[in-house]
Amino acid sequence: MPSTPPEAAAACCRIEIDKLRKGFLAPASQGGREVVAVDDASFRINDGEFVALLGPSGCGKSTILNMVATLIPPTSGDIRVDGAPVTFGRPIRQVGYVFQKDTLFPWRTIEDNIGYALELAGVPAAERKTRVAEAIHQAGLDGFGRFYPSSLSGGMRQRVSLMRTLISQPEILLMDEPFGALDTHTKLDMHSVLLSLWERQRQTVLFVTHDLGEALTLADRIILMSARPGRVKQDFKVDFPRPRDAVALRETRRYAELFSLVWHSLGEEFAKGRSA
Amino acid sequence: MRRVSTLLWQIAIGLGALAVWEWGWTFHDRLPWLVPDLLDPYFVSRPSVIFQQFLSMSCLVGRDGTWTFAADGAFARCMAKSENNLWIATYVTLRNTLWGFLTGVSSGFALGLLLGRSDRLSEIFYPYITAFNSIPRIALAPIIILAFGIGDASKVVTAWLVVVFLVFFNTFEGARAVERDHINAARLLGASEWQVTRTVIVPSTMAWLFASLTPAISFSLIGVIVGEFIGAEHGIGRMIIEAEARGEAAGMMVAVFVLMIAGVILSSLVRRLQAYLLRWRPAQQLSS
Repeated sequence: MPSTPPEAAAACCRIEIDKLRKGFLAPASQGGREVVAVDDASFRINDGEFVALLGPSGCGKSTILNMVATLIPPTSGDIRVDGAPVTFGRPIRQVGYVFQKDTLFPWRTIEDNIGYALELAGVPAAERKTRVAEAIHQAGLDGFGRFYPSSLSGGMRQRVSLMRTLISQPEILLMDEPFGALDTHTKLDMHSVLLSLWERQRQTVLFVTHDLGEALTLADRIILMSARPGRVKQDFKVDFPRPRDAVALRETRRYAELFSLVWHSLGEEFAKGRSA
Repeated sequence: MRRVSTLLWQIAIGLGALAVWEWGWTFHDRLPWLVPDLLDPYFVSRPSVIFQQFLSMSCLVGRDGTWTFAADGAFARCMAKSENNLWIATYVTLRNTLWGFLTGVSSGFALGLLLGRSDRLSEIFYPYITAFNSIPRIALAPIIILAFGIGDASKVVTAWLVVVFLVFFNTFEGARAVERDHINAARLLGASEWQVTRTVIVPSTMAWLFASLTPAISFSLIGVIVGEFIGAEHGIGRMIIEAEARGEAAGMMVAVFVLMIAGVILSSLVRRLQAYLLRWRPAQQLSS
């Protein structure tokens, strides 16, 4: 695979999405018509930017993410990562993906799950061990390395998932509502973990969520999607200073202002989603 | 407390059944409506007689009624007298059972994985597999004896035939049930097609394979015994057929008890192996 010249990447951005469209064919029993999930979506994400893709359920935000991750093919339009077009079914090396669902391998221990990518890449066992131990420590999972996923709580499992992706040090991180299934308290906890990890590495992140508070806490930018068919509706800048405190941030005046600003726009889409 | 009372009940029921078996027939003439004809020692023998028979068949007690280990070389002389004595028969039957189990499990797993992961192959072979699966496997035993002779090979083949389908169907289901998300996760973490097979599809399918191991070992033993019924030089199955020909109920019963004990030991070993291999499963799933 030819590598992209750095100037080409620098010319634009890390991720470029251009007139992206995705239609699904409904089953014949439901009329067999095409359902448009994403329609004419275009946006760019710069290097080191943390972008939240926000919208009501079913607005196609996860579909966009999965197309960037090469998990599903677009109907039309282009996706470029570092200037190179992505092809369905051919994952890009510098891109990491964190699933919404728990996709840890249940037959592997926590350390073997985290070390999986290194194992695939043929990293020697000794080096693997050190890096896994460090990752386990960063995730606050010391002492759980030999446990199997089934004996961990949902929050712990999602931290393992995060470390399993981060261990190969991807420069771009795609996250599909990774904390969607967690309770509020655990979620806030995970925000702190993610913020501290991210503030050290500054990966380029595309984070899909329907939780406005989450988007405001984590992101530099919020791309708001409209209800189905999913289009980019608005682009908000989130200019809270970093490093951020996931809890204290919520008590600031600026947070409240931004919250109500985006909420108003988001609320319209929720209403549309309900009537559709 | 509950465990103790359960144990007491179990012992009481066991002893009660043995007592009826031992002495029930003596009441047959007086109470014919209470004691069924089946309790006739001619058919089912008696626990005490069976135990005596066991001692002499196993060469623990010689023909003169003394313990063989008391006299020098008596055990060896007794053993040499029969080439299908209890020890040899048990050894041969267990060895063939194990071979049938191992070959059946490994080939069933390989076939299940292959067809389970290939829609094209499973589509083509589907009618044949359904057809073969509809044959009661035991019906093929005489053909196998004809083809492979009365030696060990035919017993292993019979056991293999019984085990392979069981394992195949379990593996097949398992291979189809591999979670799409696990495969995607592996791919996104950089796994090649071969690495996906080795690190996701095989281990995930193994869980289904392990679930079929306990029935597989019992099925294998059944296959071997049936093979021995039809024609064999050694083995417990042949021992039962011989005792039947002589009208020796006690001899048959000894063989049946040996099989029962062998079956219990084999399946508890397999269950332990299974529990170890599936230790990553949540506890409640293991106990069910």
